[in-house]
Amino acid sequence: MNRRIALRHLALISGGLALIPSCDFSSDDILAAYENLKVTTSQKQLLGAISDSIIPAGELKGALELEVPDFILVMVNDCMTAENQVLFSTGLAAFPAYAKNTVGKKFDQLSSREKEDLIQGGIDLQPAETPEGEKDRAISYFLNTTKKLTMQGYMASEYIQTEIIPYSLIPGPYNGAALISENQKPRING
Amino acid sequence: MANLNIRNKQERTYQAIIVGSGASGGWAAKEFGDLGVKTLLLDRGRDVKHIKDYPTTNMLPYEFKHRGKLPQKVLDENPIVAKCYAYGEDSEHFFAKDSEQPYIQDKPFDWIRGYQVGGKSLLWARQVQRWSDYDFEGPARDGFAVDWPIRYKDLAPWYSHVEKFAGVSGNLDGLDTLPDGEFLPGYDLNIVEMHFAQKMKEVYGDRHMISARCAHIHETRPEFSEQGRATCQNRNLCQRGCPFGGYFSSNSSTIPWALKSGNVTLRPDSVVHSVIYDEEKGKATGVRVIDAHTKEVEEFYADVIFINAAAVNSNAILMNSTSARFPNGLGNDSGVLGKYFAFHNYRAGVSASYDGYKEYTTTGGRPTSGYIPRFRNVKKQETDFLRGYAGGFSAYRGGGYVADARVGMDLKNSMLNPTPPDGPWRVGSHMMGETIPKESNFIALDKDKLDPYGLPTLKFNVDYDDNDEKMIIDYQEQISEMFSKAGFTDISVRDDHRVPGLDIHEMGGVRMGKDPKTSMLNGNHQLHAVPNVYVTDGACMTSTSTQNPTLTYMAFAARAAHHAVNESKK
Repeated sequence: MNRRIALRHLALISGGLALIPSCDFSSDDILAAYENLKVTTSQKQLLGAISDSIIPAGELKGALELEVPDFILVMVNDCMTAENQVLFSTGLAAFPAYAKNTVGKKFDQLSSREKEDLIQGGIDLQPAETPEGEKDRAISYFLNTTKKLTMQGYMASEYIQTEIIPYSLIPGPYNGAALISENQKPRING
Repeated sequence: MANLNIRNKQERTYQAIIVGSGASGGWAAKEFGDLGVKTLLLDRGRDVKHIKDYPTTNMLPYEFKHRGKLPQKVLDENPIVAKCYAYGEDSEHFFAKDSEQPYIQDKPFDWIRGYQVGGKSLLWARQVQRWSDYDFEGPARDGFAVDWPIRYKDLAPWYSHVEKFAGVSGNLDGLDTLPDGEFLPGYDLNIVEMHFAQKMKEVYGDRHMISARCAHIHETRPEFSEQGRATCQNRNLCQRGCPFGGYFSSNSSTIPWALKSGNVTLRPDSVVHSVIYDEEKGKATGVRVIDAHTKEVEEFYADVIFINAAAVNSNAILMNSTSARFPNGLGNDSGVLGKYFAFHNYRAGVSASYDGYKEYTTTGGRPTSGYIPRFRNVKKQETDFLRGYAGGFSAYRGGGYVADARVGMDLKNSMLNPTPPDGPWRVGSHMMGETIPKESNFIALDKDKLDPYGLPTLKFNVDYDDNDEKMIIDYQEQISEMFSKAGFTDISVRDDHRVPGLDIHEMGGVRMGKDPKTSMLNGNHQLHAVPNVYVTDGACMTSTSTQNPTLTYMAFAARAAHHAVNESKK
């Protein structure tokens, strides 16, 4: 095993467990695994709930059970510019207030359908180019990013790629004239 | 500089030394091994053993922490290599990081490097089209650079020699612009690509679109089994290193073969400082090597030196090899060393849609795509610019999930049940343009700035010219017209204005020629002034033509190795 992989495994093992020691036990602990983000335990829970509304459990597992929120935070922490990290974190922090202002309730008090409506509404926001629009811009960016990464993390999960739609490293020989009608796959019920 | 030649000279003496183990150096090693020449094969990078040192080769998508994407920090620290299409989470360990060897861009140049045993042969695009005499005769006919000292007939048997061993798949297309070779069965074009090929023949007669010849094993043969290589599995994960040896790399093919001969010693982590020139003997006697880890300098000796360090570094080694006889670089009596540096122009592309064959799609994978051989200015001058371009070509059918489905079960079911393709086929071409080598395009050393190994820093003065700009316009116009005649619609052209270098086809600086006053190398790849030094990689290129050049370097290396052995028998 090379050093890079070893370090990565170490990061995966320790990821999410290490907390920055805090003297003020009443405040939310900041998760040290995502060093570029100031994400608290409760914010990560909220992110988990949002991702699980985007891809809920049904006949097949949902995003939360596949630990998609961890994937989202790893991607935002590692693969985004500082500017976009700020936008994402701002949107995540502003989301509870957005829920309150939009539907008058806390997110976790909403029904599944109401949660989906709220998220879809945030995704579809067309933020105005005004100071008031700034908050909407953060909400919209946060939700669109979360949706995109939830989809990626879900479909590129071990569960989906081994049990549901097995991934093959060997795709088979090329057929440059395959009839679509002969290529239909059985429907999968999520 | 510590000079610790502790081991005795005899232990450090070989019959041949090869500097660099990429596609061309690997071929020289294979030939010397077969011919019984005691050879030292040097590479500046670490060893990469076939299969064993391909850490990502069998990783599944979910095993990559970032699913293939590189962290922002890596991209920020490596703005140059980050532009390379093949640089990703699965392949980053085969690319030299920007900080490994900083260089000066008097004019912008994206220099992509693979510093390990096998070099860029692990990362190349594996397209292998032969040159023809339309290419070799270009400079003489059109009055630029200098005349090539060789012609197709000199190289043809060596193309065959390397194709048979490396494994090249392709069809016998019968084109005089792109000679046929020793091919394994070619890969299929898809139905829309075949439509385009057919239309081009009908409409133009002399414009073609073929399945590109590629260095992949499409059919098993004893000579590949003997190398421990199997047929290509269409994985399209070549940049990770192939556990089947399905494509040609030095690592899967020539290097293990050379080592098996018992005649070749591989020494990784050996950064070559310079070639040693003996004034009394009037020839090169060896190389000075900096240990990549300890930075200690050691000398190695041989009768014949092959410089195959990849185009830029082969120039740099000769420039840094100074002596009273050669104050401006080894063999540089002409003063052209580093000059007439050129590349391929990849700036332009054309894409379009096709509304036909909607009931079809493609399945499975293939390691190649379509290729449009050069048709411009082939038999005579037709345009107001010199030379021409080849084109890549491919057609593909989209499809997939509806990303804008409403979040919740709608989105989930949409993702799990991608819709069959219902839009049109998409087609695309990219340009591979010949650039004209000229004195004002050059690389040089800045001896006041030293790199982490204490070597002078390279600086680049390479740019496009008016000929390139005219060629871009012509490519866009001609391909658009060809697309239109094939019934393609929604045609759009692009010019991405990339700087030179990302083509990774840098060439020249140590050009071949007939006249020692205007060239560095003779027709056998020997330095005119130091005939026991050979250069057979991209540095030796007199002109660039349009074909992906690696196959030609491989043939050069094999031919030159045999020449060196024949000379030693005299």
